[in-house]
Amino acid sequence: MKIPFSWLKTYVSLTATPAQIADDLVRLGHEVEAVELPRAAVKGVRVGLITSKMPHPDADKLSLLKVEIGEAEALDIVCGASNMGEGDKVPVATIGTSLPGGLVIKKGKIRGEVSCGMCCSEVELGLADESAGLLILPADAPVGAEVGEYLALEEAVFDLSITPNRGDCMNARGIARDLAADAGLPFTDVTPAAVAIDAAVATPSVTVTAAQDCPVYMARAINGISLADSPEWMQAALIMAGMRPVNGVVDVLNYVMLTMGQPMHAFDADKLSGDIAIRAAASGEAFAALDGRELKLHAGDLVVCDDSSVIALAGIMGSEPSGVSDVTTNIVLESAFFRPARVSETRRTYAMVSEASMRFERGVDPLMVATAMGQATAMIIDLFGGSAGEIAVCGDATAINADRTVLCSLSRLESRLGVEIPQATDEVLARMGFTLSRQGDALEVTVPSFRHDVSIPEDLSEEYARVIGFDAIPTLLPPLATTAPAKTDRSIHDAVAGGFLQVVTYAFISAGEQRLFVADDGLDIALANPISDAMSVMRRSVWPGLLNTAKRNLNRQQPGVALAEQGRTYVRSDRGHDEENVLAWLMTGEVESDQWYGHARAADFFDLKGAVDGWLALRGLSGRFIADDSILGLQAGQSAKIMVGRVEAGRIGRVDADLADQFDIDAPVFVAEINLDLLPTGKQAKFVPLAEFPGVERDLVFLFDRGAASDAILNAIRSAGGKLLTEARIFDLYDGKGVPEGKVSLGIRFTLQDGKRTLTQADSDAASSAIIAAMDKRFGAALR
Amino acid sequence: MKSKAGLFTQSCLLVFQGLSLQKQAAVFPAYDREKSQKLSPKGFGIMSEIDALKAQLESLQSEALAAFSAAGDSAALQQLRVHYLGKKGALTEVLKGVGKLPPQERPVIGQHVNLAKATLSAALDECEAELALKGKAARIEAERLDVTLPGRNKSPGALHPVQQGLDEITAIFAQMGFAVAEGPEIEDEFHNFDALNIPPEHPARAMHDTFFLKELTHGDDAEPMLLRTHTSPVQIRTMKRFLAENGEPPLAVVAPGRVYRCDYDVTHSPMFHQVEVFKVDRDVSMAHLKGVLKHFLSTYFEKDVGIRLRPHYFPFTEPSAEVDISCVFCAGKGCRICKGSGWIEVLGSGMIHPNVLRSVGVDSSEFSGFAFGLGVERLVMLKQGIPDLRLFFENDVRFLRRMGVSK
Repeated sequence: MKIPFSWLKTYVSLTATPAQIADDLVRLGHEVEAVELPRAAVKGVRVGLITSKMPHPDADKLSLLKVEIGEAEALDIVCGASNMGEGDKVPVATIGTSLPGGLVIKKGKIRGEVSCGMCCSEVELGLADESAGLLILPADAPVGAEVGEYLALEEAVFDLSITPNRGDCMNARGIARDLAADAGLPFTDVTPAAVAIDAAVATPSVTVTAAQDCPVYMARAINGISLADSPEWMQAALIMAGMRPVNGVVDVLNYVMLTMGQPMHAFDADKLSGDIAIRAAASGEAFAALDGRELKLHAGDLVVCDDSSVIALAGIMGSEPSGVSDVTTNIVLESAFFRPARVSETRRTYAMVSEASMRFERGVDPLMVATAMGQATAMIIDLFGGSAGEIAVCGDATAINADRTVLCSLSRLESRLGVEIPQATDEVLARMGFTLSRQGDALEVTVPSFRHDVSIPEDLSEEYARVIGFDAIPTLLPPLATTAPAKTDRSIHDAVAGGFLQVVTYAFISAGEQRLFVADDGLDIALANPISDAMSVMRRSVWPGLLNTAKRNLNRQQPGVALAEQGRTYVRSDRGHDEENVLAWLMTGEVESDQWYGHARAADFFDLKGAVDGWLALRGLSGRFIADDSILGLQAGQSAKIMVGRVEAGRIGRVDADLADQFDIDAPVFVAEINLDLLPTGKQAKFVPLAEFPGVERDLVFLFDRGAASDAILNAIRSAGGKLLTEARIFDLYDGKGVPEGKVSLGIRFTLQDGKRTLTQADSDAASSAIIAAMDKRFGAALR
Repeated sequence: MKSKAGLFTQSCLLVFQGLSLQKQAAVFPAYDREKSQKLSPKGFGIMSEIDALKAQLESLQSEALAAFSAAGDSAALQQLRVHYLGKKGALTEVLKGVGKLPPQERPVIGQHVNLAKATLSAALDECEAELALKGKAARIEAERLDVTLPGRNKSPGALHPVQQGLDEITAIFAQMGFAVAEGPEIEDEFHNFDALNIPPEHPARAMHDTFFLKELTHGDDAEPMLLRTHTSPVQIRTMKRFLAENGEPPLAVVAPGRVYRCDYDVTHSPMFHQVEVFKVDRDVSMAHLKGVLKHFLSTYFEKDVGIRLRPHYFPFTEPSAEVDISCVFCAGKGCRICKGSGWIEVLGSGMIHPNVLRSVGVDSSEFSGFAFGLGVERLVMLKQGIPDLRLFFENDVRFLRRMGVSK
């Protein structure tokens, strides 16, 4: 909301600069988004005294002036006007000044004579559209002063962001009242001029059947107006305040709203049929809004009607047919108080915002309903003639928000603020309209009707805090309680320690991306009002986000990426929905680049498996990777479910090549995910005495049928090797020359150890034989 | 590689040649068995037997010494040791001649022989030590590396800057005794709005640009579910849970999390991160709020930042305040970032509204509390000098690597 400084000054004689006022406003809780200086362009125009006037030797209509502007040398100025003489004071645009019309003053020669500035008319200063000659300033104007300051031409406009609780400050009057109270300056309210009532002008009768939503409604007919544009000063003022001039009547109503805070509406009386009723809309009732929209109303919307149709959505917008137009001569003015919540709900239903609705939903001052009616009537008749009828009134404005008293304990307020509340602050609140009385610790405050935001002691604490100033509240650390430190989730940190870059992608993806890794089972959760189709469904897999991130980075010439993300996935469930905490990985492209010690290497399944294994190991867990060809979106034969204990905690695999291609990725892409909520708590490591006797290491190489799973082989070896076997691993895998078709050679190295003795040849022979027998029995594998 | 392999091959060859029989004469130039046998009878006539032996010893010694110093490696030296000092070595040969001497002269020549033995042995040791030193020096030279070559190293991972911010912020409050809590991102209207004193018709509700979820409802009234617009619902959930377990305050909580607003442009992301902080106890005051804010902001920005509270309006706090810090870029002098004001808005705060306490069953006449919510991205941007919010969600790995370096 924009409020010109000059408007504030009509209520209170403020002497502070706009910058100081802006600081005061901030301190009082009115956020100043900007202080605009619409007429700053007159800077550099100064009061000049004409000390001599000579005819131009070469031009009849030009004069040579010497003008003093309070500096050592008088200026030589060539001037084309004729209404000035020696001893006159005129505005002088000095060199470098840029005038409102865009003219920049430069030193120049006019018909051979030097001119060091320009004497200005009102037109050149942007003060009028035409003028007869130079603006002659009063004789006492101080020579050399900035004309803008001297004439108070300079205007500052405060662009304020009024908080939703302060409907009373959505206008110049309310802001001025706060400033006056704060500064201790007198506040002069505007009293409307008296209006003569013409008994011949009949105001339609008003009935309100929805009194709760419309506690007071006033209407008044004004007949015989000659509608014209509003005066220039008003148009200029409205433009400064951010509104567009429309027509004389609408401009007056807007001006009244901006200055006094009461939104009003005008109907073309000749377009109305019969009387006015304010009632709840019937479901499906039609309304042709002023903005051109045709609405089907909902039951409960509050409407203003005549005998035939809805003429306004109360407090929000009038109807197109009943509006004031160029040919209007008879009008009916409306001034009312509509229940804020009602306006708010209807306004949101139809996504319809107006200056009026913004004020009604924040709550207007009920006592201004009549005042604004009087002011608007007086201004309209003054500007456009016409005669006013009686005001038709329904309801009692003084009953709204009346006599609200808050009782509280002063010490409770002080304890809440952490600062003493001095008696003097009561005076400031009194100037703001509150009535206060202190009786020891007891405080009784009567709240003015326009402060519907104040109803409980805590509200008063804020009023006191604003007046005292938040800066005056001390800065204290509270006594700190200690709490048991929570276990921090190290999931993503450990993934990052494995060489992955953490990414954060949006929790919503496209419906198409959702289907890549999750079959359509009706359990998706879609947004009702998504930003775009690409962000329309809550993700059930983190992989699409990672794929998009990989795509973007590969497009930016990255040879490969290793990404990890921790976040939630969302799915419908019996409980309504579940949010699962998931850690996901993606690897594609180079994992190692060309280096002096080795060649570039592309990521493969085992790079990612190793990362997941390592991550599990850090939390005292180990995973079993069970080949699973049925994972949607992953390539059969290169995908597995990850079992941790008895839980299927995650999945890993290569993204289907066609699918990766959709993301423009040629290189194999590997992804994995672990559902952190399903993961069992790892075992805390327990001390085991270190073996004092050396272990024995043996290698055995077998020929297995291709397809034998190495974890099954190792498991069989572990059980065959007996208690002494401490480790078994595959140290060699070969299926090249010398290995029969359909076979694969696996080299297995195992370690035997006994904590109590040194092992003998017999021990390792026994274990070897057992293993060889087991391999034969279980896999039909023979030593190679 | 190629040159190194070449050197290695050459030195191998040398050692091999040194050991080869064919080259013995070249390796042991001072000794020639036939020559010495021919010399001996010739000398009988000229000098006495003992002198002849002495001369023979001397010449043997000087030959040997010359051979030692000419030896190229320790293997050659070992050969020489055997050759001169071994059981069947040259000195033993000389001793054989002692038998021809008269008995009284034998000890004399024995002494000479022992002396020569000792001399040669010492010389051999010395040569060996010298060779060993040379050999080590040569090996060191051969193994010399370009230590400036890059190490064998996987590219390190990096935490997302938002994660770093969350970690830092949460840790500061955890150290102050605030317990960490989390809550669901898909919320109902009660927790996101009503319980926070934002009734349905409240204008503030519209300002939240809420994402609603299709066909996902809550309760008997089938209220629509939504994506939480702030972390404040965690305040409600945590207080309810805490009170059910403990009966009454005090409690102090820090709740980090993701929040969503239906707003997407240069300065708005539809998903971002907040941290909610609140404390409820007897006699919690606005002064405590200021104290905690000051401590937190100074700790986070690692300098003593000035703070300014401006009255504001939030439905869930009363009084409410927007919090500014003195501009961390210009130290409050006024710059582009703070738009010349010297202040930067960082968060919203206030004393918890009694209606909020009431909604969870806390007696507001006995207990009071403060609460504030801070935008993680904003704080990280200010601290790290990141100019554009969108960078966080683009996840350009160059950005992530760059910002992943933590002190």
